[in-house]
Formats: sequence, C-alpha cells, structure tokens
Amino acid sequence: MTDDTNRLKIRTLEDADLGGIIALDEKISGLYRPDVWETRFTYYMRRDPEACVVAEKDGKVVGFMLGDVRAGEFGLEEPTGWVEVLGVDPGERGQSIGRRLAERILDHFKASGARSVRTLVDREMTGIEQFFTALGFEPAPVRTYVRTLQEP
Amino acid sequence: MATRQTRIPEPFHKAVERWRDTFIPDFDLLMDNWEKYFPKDPRFELCAFRELGICDEIECGELKGKQKATQPEQLLPEQAQHLLGAIKAQASTEFGSIQQHMHTLARAQTEQDQFWVLRMMAEELRHGYQMLHLLLDGDWSKVADVKGAEMVEEILSMTTGSHVLGAFNIDFDSFVDNITFCCLIDRVGKYQLDMQRISAYKPFGESMPQMLREEAFHLATGVVPLRRWMEAAGQGEVYITTRDIQRAINKWLPRGLEMFGDERGGGTNVRYGLKPMKNREAQDLYYHEVEKVVRDLNMRYVRARLPELHLAEAEDLLDRVLAEGTPVRGIAREELLHLPVKEFFRRRGEPAFRMVGWQGEEYDDAEAYLRHLQETLPDAYRANRDFRSYAEALRKVAAGEVSADEASREMPSLRRIGGTCPCSRSVRWVVDEVPSNGEKRLDPIEQPVA
Repeated sequence: MTDDTNRLKIRTLEDADLGGIIALDEKISGLYRPDVWETRFTYYMRRDPEACVVAEKDGKVVGFMLGDVRAGEFGLEEPTGWVEVLGVDPGERGQSIGRRLAERILDHFKASGARSVRTLVDREMTGIEQFFTALGFEPAPVRTYVRTLQEP
Repeated sequence: MATRQTRIPEPFHKAVERWRDTFIPDFDLLMDNWEKYFPKDPRFELCAFRELGICDEIECGELKGKQKATQPEQLLPEQAQHLLGAIKAQASTEFGSIQQHMHTLARAQTEQDQFWVLRMMAEELRHGYQMLHLLLDGDWSKVADVKGAEMVEEILSMTTGSHVLGAFNIDFDSFVDNITFCCLIDRVGKYQLDMQRISAYKPFGESMPQMLREEAFHLATGVVPLRRWMEAAGQGEVYITTRDIQRAINKWLPRGLEMFGDERGGGTNVRYGLKPMKNREAQDLYYHEVEKVVRDLNMRYVRARLPELHLAEAEDLLDRVLAEGTPVRGIAREELLHLPVKEFFRRRGEPAFRMVGWQGEEYDDAEAYLRHLQETLPDAYRANRDFRSYAEALRKVAAGEVSADEASREMPSLRRIGGTCPCSRSVRWVVDEVPSNGEKRLDPIEQPVA
C-alpha cells in the first residue's frame, strides 16, 4: 500500500461535500454547474445517504459514487442496487479510488437486501466500461432504446 | 436494511397530533402541497421506525462485545440514567426546534424555502415521536423511578425557554435564523444521531438510521438557501447580505459547540457503550465540517461576483483574500464569511465566559467585550432576554463576584412552574438557586453528555 493510499479515506457522503463534488465535476467536464449538482445531491442525500460515498484525501474530495437501492425499475421487481454517477479526480487516477468506492457501495447494497447491481454505460466511454468489467460487471440482456421527440 | 414501522399507544399519539395542531398550524398545507414540492419522496407519516439487522453487540467501552440491551432493566443503573437523559434531551430538542421555527416561518422569501422548513418541522415532530416511542416502549420505572407517561407529559409541556439544551431556548428573530439554525444546529443533531447509532441500548440504535436520512434533508434546508443567498449577495442583491449571515453564524455557532457538552467530558458515554466519541473529539469534527461549509459559501460568493474565473483562479483568489487581508480584484476580506473561533461568546464548557473575540482576539475588560459583541451579533438578538442574561453574568464573572462555573449555572431560563399540564400558562423566567452547601447542582446539559 502506497503512502497516497494510506492518506485516502472512503466515507459516506455528507452535505458539506457538495462544494468538493462541484469542483471535481468542473475539473472533469470543464463546466461549473452548481445548480445541477445541488439538485442531484439533495435527491441522493434524502433517498439513501449510505449508498453515496466519497473518497477524501488531505481533506479534499478526490472521488465520489452516488447510487441507491430501488425495486420496480423496468420490471425488475427485486431490490437492485443502482450505481448512478461516479467521478475521480484526473490527477488522482491509478490509485484504485474507483474500486474502493465501488467496494464500499456494493457492501451497502448487499446489506440493504439487493441481490444484484446495475448501471448504464455509454459504449463510447471505454474507460468506464473497462472499470465496471474489472469489478465483475457483465453486459446485461436489457438494452436501452431511445427516440428523439423534437428536432433540434 | 429493512425497517419496522410502529405507532405509540393511541392516547399519546393523539396528544402528539394535538401538539402538532398547536405548533405546526400549517401541517395540512404541507400535506396538500407535498407532491408539488417533494414529488419523488414518500409522503410524511407520523410513526416510529426501527431499523432491523443492526449489530447485536456493544461496540465500544468497557462492555464491548457483550449483548446490547433490548429492555431498560438490562442496563446498568448509571448507564440507564445517562441513556434516559440522552433520550429526554433528544426529544426536547426535536419538539423545541419546531417551537422556534414556527414564529418566523411565514417570513421566508420564497415558497420553496417555506415548504422545506415546514417539512423539516414535520420530520422533527416525527423524531420527537420516535423518542416518545422509546420512553413508552420499555418500562423505565425499574431503573429510573419514573414512568414513561410522566416523561412524555413533561416533554410535551416544554416551551421555548424550558428545553434541556440552550440552543433550543433562544427565539428566532428572522428567517435567516431558521436557515442558519438548520445549517448549524441540525448539524450537531446529525453528529449526535450518528454517534447514537452504536448505542448499547439496541432500540435507541435502531431508531437512528431513519432519523439520519431525514436529518440530511434538514441540513440541506439550511445550506441550500445559504448558498443561494451568498450567490445573490455576490451579484449585488440587497436582501440578505454576507454581514447578516455572518452575524447569524456568530449567534448560533457558540450554542452549537456547547451542544456537544463540556469539552472535557463524554467519557462516561464511551465507557458505557452509548457513544463512540468523547465530547471534544466530536466537537472538533463538527467544527471542521462547518469550516468546509463556510469555505463553500465563500466560493459561491466569489464565483457569483467574478463569473469569468475558473475553479483554480477562484480558489487562489479566496485563499489570497483570506490570508493577506487585502482586497483582490475588488473582493475584500470583510465581504466574506469567517468561522468564529471556538472560544467566542461561550457560556458553557471549557471556555465559558472567557472574553475571546470572534477572530480570536482576547479582551480583559467586560464592557469592551460587550461592545465587541454588539458589533458582531444580530441587532434583534441583542435586544432579547437571552443576551441580557449573558451580559449580566459576564459582568459578574469579570468582577470576580461569581466563578464562570457558577455563572453558567445561574443563567436564567424560562421554566414551567406549577404543573406540567400542556395548557398551563405558568411559564416564568426563573433563576435556579445555587445550593448553600456548595454542592454542585446537576446541570441538565450534563445529563446527555457527561
């Protein structure tokens, strides 16, 4: 275990982390989107705070993963853990931060009675696809269909 | 994890509903508009929740590894006393905060702010109900010589001034107080709930997870409007200034710090497996978290004021203004929020009645210190009884007439005298007499935190 790994703390999301997540998103996307994250953040904090985790290093948020356990999505009646959104600081990659976040959230899903975990991955985001594959995720037979309703 | 939902016996349930009708008169309005403001959330229900499947063994202290108690009579006598003090204090705070919020609720600038606070009040009622459930579910008379029904009656009869913890005895002066209170005082509540998850009394621990989920919304009820107000202030809006917010922080943060109990205490709770941390350790974590919130609020201000800045530039600017104290790109240090030092304006705990300014400067003259408080606390708050009592006590301490410890205990509070009937009007300001034999009187605040 490296020194950097020792300085890393994985913990449940707190409301005071919002600023850190907005900053992290800005580093990744180049966009300052406080309102988007505030709405999303408040929603997850209210639903299942323990299914939302952050990685903290030297007091700064360097990764996060938000999810929850739901039943009834797309006819999937059994309680299922959903990983909705994740992000890792580009400058902190290569330290298994994503894996450690996932391990923590998966433990919570299991304790909450979920028997499987699902997520949606854009095929063009190969890095994300590889990340979930390395964690033991497999492509599911359910496919996403989309139709545009309005011409741009 | 699964939860079990239950109700307290009907007469008590009805008593809580009557209490609700008095102190949350807009409850029906909340329920009529629930889907409009909280479309994705389950509707509010007055009931108690118990999380199933939590750890059966005591998780800290001298009894670590032994089975958690499921009935009051399984607790050690002193352990039971401490726990009962914590449950009563918790119940008192839940009902107490509703009484504080109700007076200024209608002054919210936006409907959303008003409905968020209203929902928070309803959930605080449920938290109080959860504590009543704990008092009624077990037979406490065997360990505390008091029946659950008597304790419930006492709790439901408390009003602002007679609650167990100081922060719940201070009136709100404006809607800024509603919001700052949610941000700072509910945050203390989050720490207490989180620590109590491991309680050696299993029904208490089982009560915490749902309360914590709800508490997350209460914190958002505070922080979300504060962020919006800081952005508006950064854009030059005149309604709520950073000065107003700073003064509200100065008013509430000292009371929040005191809610953790004396910095030197907390060992008994750890020893008995009731909480995993002593008071100072928990208080330090809280203070550090508030520091992060204040920085976040300042970042909102800077980004709103100078939208052309990127993240790194905004962070650098904020650091420079705070460190150097000179304006950078037109933003002065005085425009930003600052976290008062822990010793500021304290009346309980280790720094009680020490004359320390909000930025750490020390005073040796009571009048000079009071003038400092005049400049740093909200105008309306200084006009009320709570501040006057503090000022009078401070003068006595500075003159050597009483010790800080005695002054802490002599602070007057509103008390219900002559019965505990909820319809009683017999509430008066009273000062407890210090026993003539010099014996240390039990301070209610020490009950849950010793």
